Amino acid sequence: MNQDPFEGRSVIQFTSERDRRAFLKYAALVGIGGSLVSALPISNALAATSPSPSPSGSPSPSASSAPSGSPSAAGSGTSQFGAGDIGILNYALTLEYLESEFYQKGLAANILGDDAKYITPVAAHEAAHVAALTATLNKLGATPATKPTFVFPPTTFTDTATFLKSAVIFEETGVKAYHGQVVLIKDGAILGAAASIAGVESRHAAVLNYLTQMPPVANPVEQHATADEILAAIKPFLGA
Amino acid sequence: MGRTAIGAGAVIGGSTAIELLSTTRVWAAAEGTDGDILNFALTLEYIEATFYERGNAASLITDAREKDIFATIQKDEEAHVQALTDTLNKLGVAPVAKPTITFPASTFASRDSYLKLAMIFENTGVGAYLGQAGSITNKDILQAAAGIFGVEARHAALIGVISGATPEGGIYKGATETPIAKSDVLAAVMPFIGGMPNTGFAPAQRSVNYLPAGLAIGGAAAALMAFRTRGSRTPPP
Repeated sequence: MNQDPFEGRSVIQFTSERDRRAFLKYAALVGIGGSLVSALPISNALAATSPSPSPSGSPSPSASSAPSGSPSAAGSGTSQFGAGDIGILNYALTLEYLESEFYQKGLAANILGDDAKYITPVAAHEAAHVAALTATLNKLGATPATKPTFVFPPTTFTDTATFLKSAVIFEETGVKAYHGQVVLIKDGAILGAAASIAGVESRHAAVLNYLTQMPPVANPVEQHATADEILAAIKPFLGA
Repeated sequence: MGRTAIGAGAVIGGSTAIELLSTTRVWAAAEGTDGDILNFALTLEYIEATFYERGNAASLITDAREKDIFATIQKDEEAHVQALTDTLNKLGVAPVAKPTITFPASTFASRDSYLKLAMIFENTGVGAYLGQAGSITNKDILQAAAGIFGVEARHAALIGVISGATPEGGIYKGATETPIAKSDVLAAVMPFIGGMPNTGFAPAQRSVNYLPAGLAIGGAAAALMAFRTRGSRTPPP
């Protein structure tokens, strides 16, 4: 078992960080979609924290099998969680379950010292997101995804630095995940709701990067990732 | 446009369960074309970029890391101006010209006053973008506007941290962001700008009756108006 999941690997890479100047010159919003997708796949960064390290190289982004804990429907992307917006909401719920459990365990471990004041609200937000998404799914007459069993690397809740670095990655993953769904959501109200959650994840990401001496705003616009990329990245955290 | 009309949606903060689909109306009906929305955003970004250009030039932030963050924020806002301008041109819509921008004399008098207005601007920007999310019809523009929105949220949080703001209510604004209606944003920023040529924007006079009473001109936009009012009474140094 790898005791230091970050050993020898950067926790997360901001490939676009040095591209600000170029962005100023060339970016037009209409063209952003393609260029942002080409940034480093989040799976590379997340793999660095996975309890069962992937083979060298990035995991396949094409998530060939549904993660355990997900609803029964086959398919890739969010469709394995349900059709359309329901699938997207259940996908988001699954990610929020992960974040929520992560922070609950982190706070319970009492390893955060003065930083706990910044993390306590974050834990409350993630729990609120779980509750809100569940309530919304129920309201829509859909079945909320069940909470998967999660596994975390052994030092996640015993080493403060490891916890905070993991938090950075989870938040950056959450941001990319929500932004990856923005244009796929059909219902305006759900879009607004998802965006309002995404903004909070961005705040979390900024604060956690700040606390860990990482660049807190790596790009002038948030990046996005597909559900398949995100699900492949979190797969190591999903237990049997 | 594969998006249903905004109506019954809403999300409002709170640390307990939120009804994402309550009957409270917070989302505005479409307030214009994508071009209108982009020009609205461009106006806000002009103000923000100018604000940081002047504030950073005043050397009020001295800590190396904080200074670096403020330099990054300035570059982000400048990037947003450029990207919005390029996008409007691509759409064949004339970008609004940069307005004459003025800030109360006290704004750049101290680190505290600079941080205070920075925090209000960022949180207003967050609410402004979110308020338009449901009105954007072009998916690429939506993706990009959402991407800018998230970065404004990062800025808001960072300035909160640097300001020593209380975590919940200062750095964070609850479990969800709160949209601000365009008319409220315009009312709040109008005093900082000396005219908005070629947009047709006028100071907001339309009532925002789709907002629950308690939310009308609430939060960040109200703080911005209050800052401007107080600031304008401060004699120049």
